[in-house]
Amino acid sequence: MGLVPGLITGLGVTLKEVVKTATKGAETVQYPHVKEDPPPRARGVIALHEENCTSCMLCARECPDWCIYIEGHKDLAPPRRAGGKPRTVNKLDRFDIDYGLCMYCGICVEVCPFEALFWSPEYEYSEPRIADLLHDKSRLGQWMDTVPEFEAYEGGAETKAKKVPRP
Amino acid sequence: MTAVSDRRQLAYIAAQAADARVNVELEAEGMTLNIGPQHPATHGTLRIVARLDGEQVIEADPIMGYMHRGYEKLAEVRTYPQVTTLINRIDWLGSFANEVPFILAAEQLMDIEAPPRAQHIRTILFEMARIANLTLFLGDMGVQLGAVTPVFYAFRDREHILNQIEAATGGRFHPNFDRIGGLKDDLPAGWVAETKESLGHITKFCNLMDDLLIGNEIFEARTRGIGVVPADVALSYGLSGANVRASGVDWDLRRDNPVGLAYDKVDWKVWTHPDGDSFARYWVRLQEVRESVKIVEQLLDTIPSGPIMAKVPRIIKVPEGEAYVETENPLGVMGYYVVSKGGLNPFRVKIRSASFSNMSITPWLLKGTYVPDVITILASLYFILGDIDR
Repeated sequence: MGLVPGLITGLGVTLKEVVKTATKGAETVQYPHVKEDPPPRARGVIALHEENCTSCMLCARECPDWCIYIEGHKDLAPPRRAGGKPRTVNKLDRFDIDYGLCMYCGICVEVCPFEALFWSPEYEYSEPRIADLLHDKSRLGQWMDTVPEFEAYEGGAETKAKKVPRP
Repeated sequence: MTAVSDRRQLAYIAAQAADARVNVELEAEGMTLNIGPQHPATHGTLRIVARLDGEQVIEADPIMGYMHRGYEKLAEVRTYPQVTTLINRIDWLGSFANEVPFILAAEQLMDIEAPPRAQHIRTILFEMARIANLTLFLGDMGVQLGAVTPVFYAFRDREHILNQIEAATGGRFHPNFDRIGGLKDDLPAGWVAETKESLGHITKFCNLMDDLLIGNEIFEARTRGIGVVPADVALSYGLSGANVRASGVDWDLRRDNPVGLAYDKVDWKVWTHPDGDSFARYWVRLQEVRESVKIVEQLLDTIPSGPIMAKVPRIIKVPEGEAYVETENPLGVMGYYVVSKGGLNPFRVKIRSASFSNMSITPWLLKGTYVPDVITILASLYFILGDIDR
């Protein structure tokens, strides 16, 4: 303890902070008027790049609380070359993520082998009705525009940077 | 006609009622005070039933389980990568620290070692989780004693650390960043410089707390000599972490047994305090935050280059066996006992969480104290309900 009694020292600290707030402005962000900018890695909402999805169900199976619903069927597409056999492609009928259940763990994004799922730092999608938190594939596709590019890595990293597919 | 079992039940109820009547008649002078389940001093939903004689506590009984989520049982029906998402939520203020011992136990079973870069970054995030957890305690302790100011500074300065955790892992509270064999991803560019800047805020915050609380006469009067735990009692009740170091026991698993973490590469000190009272517990945690800042600063300068993941099969099957790994978490020693039968899921996960053991001393410690001191003691023992009930 210094020469000044602790009480006065404490009041001095408070006074210093008051002056700091008065001159430099408060630290609090006035949310609806001012928005914070989350980092690009922030897990806000999952975006779906539908062309890449083969409805392999890996994400739905690995999800810890089973909040992804996928339905798909096999379809015949015209052959690549004239006179060839028609190709079979996997068509996605339904891809729903229930954000009322989602734990935002990111396992689905991580296990996707075809790079169809991405994290977007967008966070403003609360709903008055809980049922509206079920995002279907068109809604999930819209989030794709908000996905930021992957950041470069810190020096010394050997991991290769990935790319976000753009339409 | 009533069945035999029904009659037995009725007789049992009648006997219980008679016992209760006798108890009420005997203890007519005392008063029972319920602290909690919804009380700001309990960081969640802990209930303490205190029998009072005037202002003095004769007997205190902690009742827990209001927030039990059954993680040990849930882990048995989740695959190994899925378990980390659950155990994030045990001690929610320092989530990353919960993942580490489980991952280390699984790595031990699979005989995998994370590459040095992964171990290094793991240690950095582990210490940042400790800073995020303990800074809130340092401010919150003031609130319990009636000093409302420190907690605002705590939330303000802790935000910088949480932002850095989010920038690296994607989650502020639930990073889910640790993987068997390494980490999910490497650090983003510019993270090291930003983290160094945010650590400056924590150093300033520690000095603030020195001025606001440590040197304050009221704070000293409220905490010195309150809730004294002698070293032998602390050890016999299974206390760990700063609670036991505040009683003068020099025991820190980070120094004594740094399994799979890079603590041996840095220069730091384990602080102890001989008093064992509430003040000592606060003081030790304050020094611990300062040491953590020192550890992180040193580790940030020496991150080795290399891969972030060891070679791990795509589908993780852990071979048969059992492993117990414990680490020094923000709240104390946390350990996972993982038993595997060779499948995708663990056969059994026993979680030794620090707060549960730290709680067990309360009936002994609260006996004979006064009601306002109950809050001081509970606050200084520092538990988080998610860590007690799991």
